[in-house]
Amino acid sequence: MSLEQDRWTGVGLDRQVQAASSNPVILDGQALALWRGEDGPVRVWEDRCPHRGMRLSFGFVRGDTLRCIYHGWAYRTDGQCVEIPAHPDLAPPKTICANSYPAESRYGIVWTNLSGAGSAALPDFGADEGWEPVRSIYVDRPASVVREALHSFDFGDVSEVRMNGGSAALVRVRSGLEILFAVQPVSDGKTALHAVAKGQGVAGRRADLARRLERLRATIERA
Amino acid sequence: MAVTTDSVALNEWVPCGWLGQVPLGGQMDTVIFGQKISITRSDDDCYRVETLPEDGSSGRQLPVQTRYCCIFTTLGEAKRPLPEIAEFDEPDRRVTGCGSVGVNTSPYRLVENFLDMAHFSFIHTDILGAPDRTEVLAYKTEHRKDVDEIWAIDCTFYQPAASKASATGQMTQYVYRVMSPFSVMLYKNVHCDPTRNDAICVFIQPKGETECLAYMPMAIVDENSSTADLIDFQQSIFLQDRVILENQRPALLPLDPTYELPTRADASSIAYRRWLKAMNIKFGIYEKQAA
Repeated sequence: MSLEQDRWTGVGLDRQVQAASSNPVILDGQALALWRGEDGPVRVWEDRCPHRGMRLSFGFVRGDTLRCIYHGWAYRTDGQCVEIPAHPDLAPPKTICANSYPAESRYGIVWTNLSGAGSAALPDFGADEGWEPVRSIYVDRPASVVREALHSFDFGDVSEVRMNGGSAALVRVRSGLEILFAVQPVSDGKTALHAVAKGQGVAGRRADLARRLERLRATIERA
Repeated sequence: MAVTTDSVALNEWVPCGWLGQVPLGGQMDTVIFGQKISITRSDDDCYRVETLPEDGSSGRQLPVQTRYCCIFTTLGEAKRPLPEIAEFDEPDRRVTGCGSVGVNTSPYRLVENFLDMAHFSFIHTDILGAPDRTEVLAYKTEHRKDVDEIWAIDCTFYQPAASKASATGQMTQYVYRVMSPFSVMLYKNVHCDPTRNDAICVFIQPKGETECLAYMPMAIVDENSSTADLIDFQQSIFLQDRVILENQRPALLPLDPTYELPTRADASSIAYRRWLKAMNIKFGIYEKQAA
């Protein structure tokens, strides 16, 4: 049984996870591998091959399987091991299974829930359409400090900041722009923020928004 | 870093330097099992090893042996002698120390990696293994109770370039031997002479539970390669392994066979873990947290 809180947390921008890649992410001190097959959605797994503990974020993708770099063991998208190259004629036992977590893509952000139950609802900020990825930033401060800073930072005439259970914040700017932040606690003193935005002319404002996020990080780390 | 209290670990001989690392009349500090030690060399083969207590008080003198290109010592009462490896005494062998390489993981992960053939095709691609010949054929493991060692025999694996002397691929015959929790070696058939085996060892200096220095003395049959080439081959293989070794989680070794799931090719690792469990060693072992 997992002792993790039943909560969805954004762990990356969907667009950042390239096809046929596996990538390391840390959430609440837990090492995760975010990987995507040659097509299809992003998967969130424990970053540990059940065979000899090698990090699966070092793995390589072939078709719809993630292979561990150490011995080439292949895992299907549901986590089941389907091939052990040391024994080409052996059907791997059902017990050999990578530990996977729920993964959902919404608003261009990949969300996961480390609690086994996973009955909590995904953060809801309306329709999924129209969100443009801005960027992720990594701040050397605890998540509580970063959440607080989202309330006071000057995004340019903020009309409203809405938190969603601590893992997401929606910032509404009067010019009609909405910025959604997923707050990912990495460790006690480190937080990742994944930002997407929506509104008129948002595509053309991406560079400007990205610069603002840089300033946001600098402001938080200076305080 | 605290000194381990695990007497099983403390009672083993471990390397603490390579011959030639401490200059004549010189001195060197290092760490074993969390204990700072000092090595002084007064003559060619005359070393003195003593503990360096944190409080600055005078240290305790430790036993010393020099063999296999290494300086060995122990913090406890050694229960077993250093292993006998006859190949190192054969006059025509190339005996080379290869120095030491630092690896941040538990000593047992290093031993298991050395025992493992299944990773050759993936980590030592086109050298010790080929991407299209990944199968590990059945082999035997034994616990030799008279010497209390773990052996794996009748091991074979296809290798595109088994050693510095290889010109073509070959089915390499291996015998593996675990002489202590912290030392392992292999015998592999020599390219030019089917009656002889190269002997390659790994002696591990555990500085802490997840911090090691690995020494790789070898006694090789090869008249042509330069010593630099032999060392270069061995070190380049080892550096490929280090990337893996430092990224296994947890770094400590789990002995619970349901936490890390083995397959047939892991027979030697299974035997090694059982042996470690039976000797009740605690240093560097992963204890699962109570749920």
